[in-house]
Amino acid sequence: MPMPPANGRFMVAAYVAAAVIYLGYAAWLYWRTRRH
Amino acid sequence: MTAIPSAERALRRGGILMTVGLVLVAGVYVRALAFTPEEATQGLAQKIFYIHAPSAWVAFLACGIVGVCSLLYLFLKEPRLDLLAAASAEVGTVFLTTVLVTGPIWGKTIWGAWWTWDARLTLTLFLWFVCLGYLVLRGAVDEPGRRARYSAVLGILGALLVPFIHVSVLLFRTLHPQPVVLQTSRPQLPNSMLVTLLLSFAVFTLFFVGLLVRRYAWARLAEARAEREADDADASR
Repeated sequence: MPMPPANGRFMVAAYVAAAVIYLGYAAWLYWRTRRH
Repeated sequence: MTAIPSAERALRRGGILMTVGLVLVAGVYVRALAFTPEEATQGLAQKIFYIHAPSAWVAFLACGIVGVCSLLYLFLKEPRLDLLAAASAEVGTVFLTTVLVTGPIWGKTIWGAWWTWDARLTLTLFLWFVCLGYLVLRGAVDEPGRRARYSAVLGILGALLVPFIHVSVLLFRTLHPQPVVLQTSRPQLPNSMLVTLLLSFAVFTLFFVGLLVRRYAWARLAEARAEREADDADASR
């Protein structure tokens, strides 16, 4: 059964969203904690 | 004041661990996207699993740490337990947010709907609200002892949701799939997919530990600085 073409786009969207959340938080935490 | 050098060391180590964790997460991305076979029925969308499930595991681990530290705090009144619970709650909320963002994207491709009021999804959303409430509560109470006591109670209640979320797919009729790894029989995944998944679990856990150590060490330093400032203010009176 052929896969819907949107499948790949949704996968990319999920991976990008997760990367943005993790990189964003790590950067924010680093920036917040670099001077204490 | 002996706590400060150890906290400063932990801050540096947390930073290193966090950076190594990020690099390894990038490695998991490469392995999952380029070197793991496509699943036969779901196609590429199934690969969301390799970030969704480990994020959920880490979020639940973080909530477990909050629950245990909160419970111990109520008995021992040790401020470091409160600081560790707060650090774990903040980092756990980030992982839980990823679960709630990647889950609906996967759901839309497989179920045809972004969201359904299924038991597991609904309970996870409630846990996210409890986590947000915990963080807001900590920001709203100034007195440290009272803040720690109130947030410990909320932290325990939040952690109690975690086992319910895990068994919700077994107790209720839900759309969400049942566990594929944490089950009594053999995992229902081919080896190549299982290796990617287990690798992802390990790497996300390491990344979480890095973030947690850094966040906790920073909280200890901030507390020591606040105590020093209070002592200086008393001395100058």
